[in-house]
Amino acid sequence: MIFKVAWRNIWRHKIRSLVVIIALALGLWAGVFSSAFTQGMMNQKIESVIRMEMSHFQIHQPKFRDEFDSKLFIKDGLSIQKIINQEKDVVASSGRIIAMVMLGSANTNGSVKLNGIIPSDEAIVTELDQKVTTGAYFEGVKRNPILISQKIAEKYKVNVKSKVIITLQDINGEITAGAFKVVGIYNTKNGMYDEINVFVRRSDIANLMVAEDNVHEIAVLLNNHDLAEPMATKYQKAYQELEVLPWMDLSTGMRMMIEMMGTYTLIIVGIILIALLFSIINTMLMAVLERVKEIGMLMSIGMSKPKVFFMILIETVCLTFLGAPLGLLFSYGSITYFGHTGIDLGSAAYADMGFSNVIYPSLEFGDYLDVSIMVIIMAIIASIYPAIKALRLNPVEAIRKI
Amino acid sequence: MSVIETNKLCKTFEGVVPVKAVDNVDLKIENDEFTAIVGPSGSGKTTLLNIIGGLDRPTSGSVKVNDIELNNLSDNELIKFRLKHIGFVFQSYNLIPVLTARENTEFVMLLQNTTVEERNERVDALLKEVGLEDKVNSRPLELSGGQQQRVAVARALASKPDFVLADEPTANLDSKSAENLLDIMLRLNKEEGITFVFSTHDQRVIDRARRVITLEDGKIISDITQNEN
Ligand SMILES: Nc1ncnc2c1ncn2[C@@H]1O[C@H](COP(=O)(O)OP(=O)(O)OP(=O)(O)O)[C@@H](O)[C@H]1O
Ligand SMILES: [Mg+2]
Repeated sequence: MIFKVAWRNIWRHKIRSLVVIIALALGLWAGVFSSAFTQGMMNQKIESVIRMEMSHFQIHQPKFRDEFDSKLFIKDGLSIQKIINQEKDVVASSGRIIAMVMLGSANTNGSVKLNGIIPSDEAIVTELDQKVTTGAYFEGVKRNPILISQKIAEKYKVNVKSKVIITLQDINGEITAGAFKVVGIYNTKNGMYDEINVFVRRSDIANLMVAEDNVHEIAVLLNNHDLAEPMATKYQKAYQELEVLPWMDLSTGMRMMIEMMGTYTLIIVGIILIALLFSIINTMLMAVLERVKEIGMLMSIGMSKPKVFFMILIETVCLTFLGAPLGLLFSYGSITYFGHTGIDLGSAAYADMGFSNVIYPSLEFGDYLDVSIMVIIMAIIASIYPAIKALRLNPVEAIRKI
Repeated sequence: MSVIETNKLCKTFEGVVPVKAVDNVDLKIENDEFTAIVGPSGSGKTTLLNIIGGLDRPTSGSVKVNDIELNNLSDNELIKFRLKHIGFVFQSYNLIPVLTARENTEFVMLLQNTTVEERNERVDALLKEVGLEDKVNSRPLELSGGQQQRVAVARALASKPDFVLADEPTANLDSKSAENLLDIMLRLNKEEGITFVFSTHDQRVIDRARRVITLEDGKIISDITQNEN
């Protein structure tokens, strides 16, 4: 019966209650959806960092990543790669010779990052072959093929079959140069990445650099994101003179972003709930104050304080639970829908920062659970003050006013 | 043993000018009585009823209900005591607006944890008793003032109280409804032996009471038992 009273009391002021319910639903929706949006953006960023840039972990000489000095190579890297490839959770690895080089076309000169790769390995590790838009993935050019990005093609005004000159230091520090022919043009949609990376066959550049079986970088792709850190730690122990880092430590700020994302939903939804808390308290306070006589009468005829408290509590909780599931339902619906179709931000600016410009919002089940728990806590907090206010009523005084 | 017994009951409201609302009242009310408390406005009727009903505490003196000294009960015990022993009918705002006549009557019984069977049986009987068998599913706003007061009487009786206290139950009613409510109360008193103590201004109501206690400035100035009519 107390539930019945609480429920019907909510509908005593239909508009007022509806306003609170809708505010709650919209507020939650906004909070949950925006964190799903950010989460989706982050997930895509992580996915792209792993799949396209970093793989799960990489091995270098300790100072190589700062200095890009050709002399800082991993001695006999190809045999290390073979050992790693035997690990059962390793999907593939790619040993790369890397050098900051001068790229020259008939029109322009500029510096780019040259990746000497084994095309078949790279195709698995970064799916580079999938990104080729014009020409072919190391097919059709016999001698010194080079794969460049759309951006670089535009900047250097070159096309498939164009010739470019690469000038670089060999691993002994001597300047050397070679002519390469554009075999294909790729586009990863990650502007920052595309701007500097070009690819040649490892064997071609090894000749030029006298690199033999040495590499500068070994990138390893695993079958599970969660194994990145433990695996990196394991190989760091095995190769103490080298630097073995998981993807989140390879990409600047990644670790921080991931850690922040863990609490992002809670913070955003928390702030919104606190704002909603006050509107619910306000509404319930009004509801209590305009019912002073009724509550006084109930206490007079023998309704105990815990029951009065409970009645107000139930009313607040009911009010909250009308709005909150609605908000969560909206959220779930819209996240599922846009998670499917994606939200096109329609701007390439995001792509240049390494974010995709079509975002697929996503939220884990655990986040919905966290939000629900927060709503329950909020509902209880919101009900306490009005309920205490009701308890403070003195029945005689309330009745006297009748 | 009297149902209600007060001894040197006093209630002073402190203020700029302290008001002695109840002044040295010695009163005994027996089972089966049908007693009106009358007196001019401000004479202390409400205050006296509130103290007897355990809603307010006296400044001094004692008030016993069925030999239980109310002064000895804590606030929470008083709430339980009221629920168990006393039925209340107020001048207005007796009912929960969102509940029907039936649910309002049932509510007190729920507070007492009465079983479903007993509730159903009693509620219907009580509403029939006050002549509202065809209004059981109406909400207070759909009922006239007189009908609302009749529901209040049914509600007051639902908890099987030792007696019913009514502070100006007819004050907001037209004379016909007042008459009707009083008929019902009198019948319940005669047939079911229910003790009623009520305050009133209304001469026609006073005329029908069996015992009339008159207050003035918080003191009993007359206590008359008149013939039944
Ligand atoms: N809470 C209070 N604080 C101060 N004085 C009060 C309070 N309640 C009642 N009084 C005073 O006590 C006296 C008795 O009041 P009470 O309400 O008992 O009279 P009453 O006989 O019921 O009057 P009425 O016929 O108008 O209902 C009055 O002078 C009133 O002003
Ligand atoms: Mg009065």
